[in-house]
Amino acid sequence: MYRKQVRRRRAVLALLVISSFALLTATYGQSSGGLQRGVSAVFAPLQEGADRALKPARDLVNWFDETFDARGQNDRLHTQLEEARRKAVAGEAALSENAQLRSQLGLRRSGAIPSGYQPVAGRVIARSPTVWYSKVTIDKGTSSGVAVNDPVVNGDGLVGRVTSATGGTAQVTLITDPDSAVTGKVVPGGAQGVIKPEVGNPDDLVLDFIDTSQRIAKGEDVVTAGWRAEGLSSLFPPNIPVGTVTEAPIAEQEASSKVHLRPFADMRSLDYLDVLTGGSRN
Amino acid sequence: MIVTPQILARIVAIVILGVLLQLSFFSEVHVFHTSPDILPALVVVLGLLGGSMTGAVAGFSVGLLLDCLLVAPLGESSLVLLTVGYLAGLYRERFDLSNSLTPPLMCMGLTLLAEAAFAAVRLMLGVDAPISALVVRDILVKSIYAFFLGVPIYLGVRRALRPALITERAASGRGRPTMLGA
Repeated sequence: MYRKQVRRRRAVLALLVISSFALLTATYGQSSGGLQRGVSAVFAPLQEGADRALKPARDLVNWFDETFDARGQNDRLHTQLEEARRKAVAGEAALSENAQLRSQLGLRRSGAIPSGYQPVAGRVIARSPTVWYSKVTIDKGTSSGVAVNDPVVNGDGLVGRVTSATGGTAQVTLITDPDSAVTGKVVPGGAQGVIKPEVGNPDDLVLDFIDTSQRIAKGEDVVTAGWRAEGLSSLFPPNIPVGTVTEAPIAEQEASSKVHLRPFADMRSLDYLDVLTGGSRN
Repeated sequence: MIVTPQILARIVAIVILGVLLQLSFFSEVHVFHTSPDILPALVVVLGLLGGSMTGAVAGFSVGLLLDCLLVAPLGESSLVLLTVGYLAGLYRERFDLSNSLTPPLMCMGLTLLAEAAFAAVRLMLGVDAPISALVVRDILVKSIYAFFLGVPIYLGVRRALRPALITERAASGRGRPTMLGA
């Protein structure tokens, strides 16, 4: 009797392990399957309800954490404010010059949202629990015009792109996800490269730039490059702010053509996101 | 554990509630730059209360639901969590659970194992990005959170599954007067 029980137990365990490997083999590296879309659609109302109900408790816990952080951030923000003030003055002059040039060239002033895109605001209702996947779920899906590969931004800059969508929800892969890669360019220098995350550190991105003759300085900003060539184009429109260069040692630039960025968008606290719908997609 | 349809429904409800709580609350809370991960602890508790089969099946189910909701490759979380659930259940079947520190310590140890195993699986499958040393801090801090969260999770799940627990039945039965004693 006992042996029979042990045999049955081992059989169930083996079945579960084999099922896990089979599922992993079948679904790894593929886009979302019907099962995942179905489960996401069924659980979307529950997730939305849970998100709304738990928001006060979440805010309370995060308030404690942010209070601890605020002390250290104060000094850094003072330095940044001085820098921003200097840039704002320079920016005013550049804006005036830009407006004149745009009118001369007959270009339409696009504003923060690139032309041709319609922003759809969505609320974050779920988030991945592990650093190995930086993904969030928002409460807007294909019924609101959201489609796979739509870029996603918030008030600070680029956040990620939509990697799967159901009628009422969409999965956003953040730029801090290991599978994410964005072509970016440094302004004003113009050096271009691929922005990749550093897994486990949402405050750090790595720009692997191509032109090794160009030098990048700390404090320079990085925006999306938005390339277009031979019928192909980047998923991201050009000039969406991505981050600012935090570390750019000459030795590292010469050795590995890499600089480190801090993303403008705080990936830890994402509440509302804008999905840029209607643009060019692959 | 005696698994009746009613108890099975309770376990399913616990699993769904746990996954929803994780995705909508714990993943969005950051204490010292790390979000707690209650799912390994939940699976450990189910394993400790129900044995190796309950732990393994619960771990597999939690992982599958999580991967479905996150649109991640299916089977990754299931593999890790079923191992954790099975080990917790095996511990229950072979050792004594009378020490009140056992559940939180098991939650901490097996969360550490789960997070490390998940990292190993991801690395084996290939990560096309540099990896920060902060991953190690994240794993360690998550396991410390699991120690503290393990106590309320254990008490809550034990309360919800009390009618099915053999030890609880025996304990409650001892207090009742018998016909002979009356």
